[in-house]
Amino acid sequence: MDVEAKRIMALSISKLYSLRTQRGGLSLHRGLLLSMTMRAARDIYHTAQLLRDAEEEQVVPCVPDAAIEELMEISKDSPQTSTPKEVAMKPQEPKETLEDDKENRCASERHSRKRRCKTAVEPDFLPLKEAKMDTDEEKQHLQGEVLRTNNGNSCRQAETLTAFPTNRAIVAC
Amino acid sequence: MAGAGGGGNDVQWCFSQVKGAIDDDVAEADIISTVEFNHSGELLATGDKGGRVVIFQQETENKSQPQCRSEYNVYSTFQSHEPEFDYLKSLEIEEKINKIRWLPQKNAAQFLLSTNDKTIKLWKISERDKRPEGYNLKEEDGRYRDAATITTLRVPVFRPMDLMVEASPRRVFVNGHTYHINSISVNSDNETYLSADDLRINLWHLEITDRSFNVVDIKPANMEELTEVITAAEFHPHQCNTFVYSSSKGTIRLCDMRASALCDKHSKLFEEPEDPSNRSFFSEIISSISDVKFSHNGRYMMTRDYLSVKIWDLNMENRPVETYQVHEYLRSKLCSLYENDCIFDKFECCWNGNDSVVMTGSYNNFFRMLDRSQRRDVTLEASRESCKARQVLKPRRVCAGGKRKKDEISVDSLDFNKKILHTAWHPQENIIAVATTNNLYIFQEKVN
Repeated sequence: MDVEAKRIMALSISKLYSLRTQRGGLSLHRGLLLSMTMRAARDIYHTAQLLRDAEEEQVVPCVPDAAIEELMEISKDSPQTSTPKEVAMKPQEPKETLEDDKENRCASERHSRKRRCKTAVEPDFLPLKEAKMDTDEEKQHLQGEVLRTNNGNSCRQAETLTAFPTNRAIVAC
Repeated sequence: MAGAGGGGNDVQWCFSQVKGAIDDDVAEADIISTVEFNHSGELLATGDKGGRVVIFQQETENKSQPQCRSEYNVYSTFQSHEPEFDYLKSLEIEEKINKIRWLPQKNAAQFLLSTNDKTIKLWKISERDKRPEGYNLKEEDGRYRDAATITTLRVPVFRPMDLMVEASPRRVFVNGHTYHINSISVNSDNETYLSADDLRINLWHLEITDRSFNVVDIKPANMEELTEVITAAEFHPHQCNTFVYSSSKGTIRLCDMRASALCDKHSKLFEEPEDPSNRSFFSEIISSISDVKFSHNGRYMMTRDYLSVKIWDLNMENRPVETYQVHEYLRSKLCSLYENDCIFDKFECCWNGNDSVVMTGSYNNFFRMLDRSQRRDVTLEASRESCKARQVLKPRRVCAGGKRKKDEISVDSLDFNKKILHTAWHPQENIIAVATTNNLYIFQEKVN
């Protein structure tokens, strides 16, 4: 199951990269579907790996909670929690390429995006290049409330929305 | 045989015409990207990846020869959209025509809306079969006459000329969309239309090009929270205040513009709970709705997702009234279809004139006719092999597994490069237009 998950994960990442060079610009719909599939596969793969590590270490009672915490942290892409064995990927990075507002992109990210485009190798795991910028926003996520602004994109009154985590994959056993 | 297009399975379909190049080497620009009949069915428009629109016109039926079915011949061809470059975002804007929608005819001219990813254009297609002759100051070739030679005055007169069909852009609706336009739909009020991209739906007035009104906006404050996009939208055929839009999560929202100016809150939400036994890595992708179409009577709507067609009663939100499997044999092949990107193909669907039969495309140049009244379905093929005049199409069968019977084709032999994404049904008669990659097939009901 996790072999399949890893394969789908790698496939999804390579498709996300090739999406950027497609004529007509990035397709938001396809990028969204690819990143959702990639996350689902990644979560299953990571769970399987963590459970395997847990079995090896024989630390049965603590691991499930830690594993869930790891999953939560990894899905928010906080670099501090990446385990020494695995190299965390950048799931947010493809999402950020979908983002329309240029002001949210940092210069170094743009630089690293340029560099990656030059390599034609199909990536397996991507090394974490830089720390996540928006840690404040992440705290907002965890609190579960987001103030909706329009960033000047529409003439709407801002409303408060409750964000709920929708990207938790259902871990199939 | 006149009539509103009766049962799909009592009808025998036969080949009528095929348009487009015969050779297998397909130029990318010739790939058909949209097909649409006008409201009378007399005109059939196609759009392609190269930004061109080709309009076919049905020849007036020869009453003395009932066997000779009316044919569609080229009426007008024009370049609707050109490739553009967005310098601000360093993005190329494709010229591919995503959708064509006809306006109801009001005078001698015909009007249609065509759109690419960013720009919508209103085209006027008019005929000219007379030209003025006998000007006083100009010769017939346009050269100015020497004033000294003019001794008398005459009134210019119209004289007949060879028919010329002219297409001219009357309105260009720009800068309305940040994301890629996937749908346009003309309102029944004949004054407004909507356009939808991945995150927003705008309402336009056909006369006003420099502004539009945003009616739906699902863009989250933080794009990282994005979980669904708009995939299609359509106005109700009779109620000018009602429209629906479908999402990548398999839901359809019906909005009433009378309820509020901004339709972020839906009036109705159509959603069927997912079957947990079918859950896989690809459940999200295959539940994404690729097309939504109201029935002609306005009581139902049809949605197409990757594997099925669903008919919804507008009065029942919690599940569709009918579900038809288009190609269930592909469910076990989803991983391969993900690898070759076929899982992202966006199939369209259409109703026949009296809403009794629906049609949608599949792979291997197969298309499916789903008869609602008789609960039967048939798979037909658009192929060069069955291109003899009035040749009846034979039903096709796909063998999902096990022993393959004679005349069946196995799933592994299907050609996934031959896909029928776009189909259209004449509004009154049993005439269908089916687009393969670069050919347009026209099939008609067999007349005895």
